[in-house]
Amino acid sequence: MNPIPEPKLPRRSFVVLSLGWCSALFATAASMAAAARFLVPNVLYEPERRFKALKPEDYPEGSTFMPNLRVFLFHKGNTFRAASAVCTHLGCTVNLAGDGFHCPCHGSVFDKRGAVVSGPAPSSLAWFEITLSRDGHLVIDTAQAVKADKYLVV
Amino acid sequence: MLNALWKTFRSTRVGRSIFRVGLPESNFERAQVAISSFFLHFQPAKVNRRALKFRTTLGLGLISLYLFLILTGTGVLLMFYYVPATDYAYQNMKDLEFVVTAGQVLRNMHRWAAHLMVLFVALHMCRAFYTAAYKPPREFNWVIGVGLFLLTLGLSFTGYLLPWDQLAYWAITVGTSIAGYAPVVGQKLKFLFLGGHVVGESALIRFYVLHVIVLPLAAVLLIGVHLWRVRKDGGLARPDEPVATREDLAVAQLPQTKSYGLMELARGTTPVVGIDPQEEVFTWPNLVFREILLFMATMTVVLVLAIFWNAPLEEIANPVHPPNPAKAPWYFLGLQELVAYSAFWGGVVVPGLLVTALIALPYLDRKRRGVGVWFSGERRVAITIFSLCLSAAIVLTVIGTVFRGPNWAFQLPWKPATPVAEEH
Repeated sequence: MNPIPEPKLPRRSFVVLSLGWCSALFATAASMAAAARFLVPNVLYEPERRFKALKPEDYPEGSTFMPNLRVFLFHKGNTFRAASAVCTHLGCTVNLAGDGFHCPCHGSVFDKRGAVVSGPAPSSLAWFEITLSRDGHLVIDTAQAVKADKYLVV
Repeated sequence: MLNALWKTFRSTRVGRSIFRVGLPESNFERAQVAISSFFLHFQPAKVNRRALKFRTTLGLGLISLYLFLILTGTGVLLMFYYVPATDYAYQNMKDLEFVVTAGQVLRNMHRWAAHLMVLFVALHMCRAFYTAAYKPPREFNWVIGVGLFLLTLGLSFTGYLLPWDQLAYWAITVGTSIAGYAPVVGQKLKFLFLGGHVVGESALIRFYVLHVIVLPLAAVLLIGVHLWRVRKDGGLARPDEPVATREDLAVAQLPQTKSYGLMELARGTTPVVGIDPQEEVFTWPNLVFREILLFMATMTVVLVLAIFWNAPLEEIANPVHPPNPAKAPWYFLGLQELVAYSAFWGGVVVPGLLVTALIALPYLDRKRRGVGVWFSGERRVAITIFSLCLSAAIVLTVIGTVFRGPNWAFQLPWKPATPVAEEH
């Protein structure tokens, strides 16, 4: 009969130690996670992404820049299209220059369809969905991207 | 007269309680004054004669520290008038310029000291490289130094947004968009920095908190560790001394009457007592007075710059009209030049690799060669690689600063291109 060897760490100490360490680690991890989550805002006080504009006839033929949305509205005959003025490179506002768009920050050039001609921009400018509200106003939704050749006919 | 006043003050109970050691008259007191003062004890009682020579370090690290102190002082003063809200921030800057007494000059000092600090921390880093000061046992202190360099850039960048003018707004829009190109976490990181999708109120308060408390505290902590390790690693890096043999020690002339005791044992290349005592001089007054002189020189330069050249303040931030060309702060223009080729490669990969290389440097290049010698011939390869990277950074920065005009098109600085007509 071999005597049962005395455990190096008594059971009581093991339980106390592991409980202590586990709760300490858990408390630390939970506090860190809470602090990290705390920094992510739940409510944003930013411009509305869906925007009710004027009536179609209020816009002159050609292009109109809408500063709050950073959108170019194009009016041609009875059609309307809306292009994003936010450069896909680093978020500067592009200028309408001649037959296309120019970004002043890093020199990206886009053609009139918004496709990249030259410069560092990784993708073409976005086009946004335009709808007509019940009371006859244009509604531009900058959260809804559409293809460049899609336009609203009024 | 002053001396008499000081002596009278020191003879009172209060005076003795504040200044434990008076103005030192004996060598014992010269040692005591360095050891017993909180502000001087970062330095040993005696330093190597080399530390006094200006060309050993060119004073670059110390100047960086002084600029940090000036920035803290002026920054705290500016905080009394500045409100980090988009409705007030720009107005507060105007008030500082036109209404507050000495507001303009304090703001100028803050601005100039910030620019200079970026410059001098970079120069200090070059000094540490070219004199091989990162070799063992100082590897980790180099890494802390890299951390301090990044903190300096972070402090400068977060401060850049606060005036809420066009310059600030677009520099931060561009800068944070670069962060958005980081793989996987990029967009989340950008959202977290800005507290939203665009640079707005929450971005301003976040940058403010980072600028006035988080980053300065981190910098103070790292500066403390940085200085402490310089002392613990045996002071400034210097060429290896001949190792003392038992015979040398035996014949060394030890002073007959000791006026010193064992202060501490430090690891590494500490001076060997008895071998070459004439190479060691007392910190007080030799080093301390040189340090004070350097502080006065730094302060003077910052003040003169601040009096004669105003910090820029453009029109109020306008999210619609970026200035053309929109430029980041000058120390990021090399990066912006790279970003103009490719945002991912120029904005994420190249800087990421550079920082990694800087951190890894002391662990890759470990041989104790050329330590404490400027441009040692024994380190030709390392010096060539570093100099090439440094030249590339300087060339890119210069191109981005003066050779880029409207639409980021190439221009000659003496023949600026005419701005492109805007059409909306």
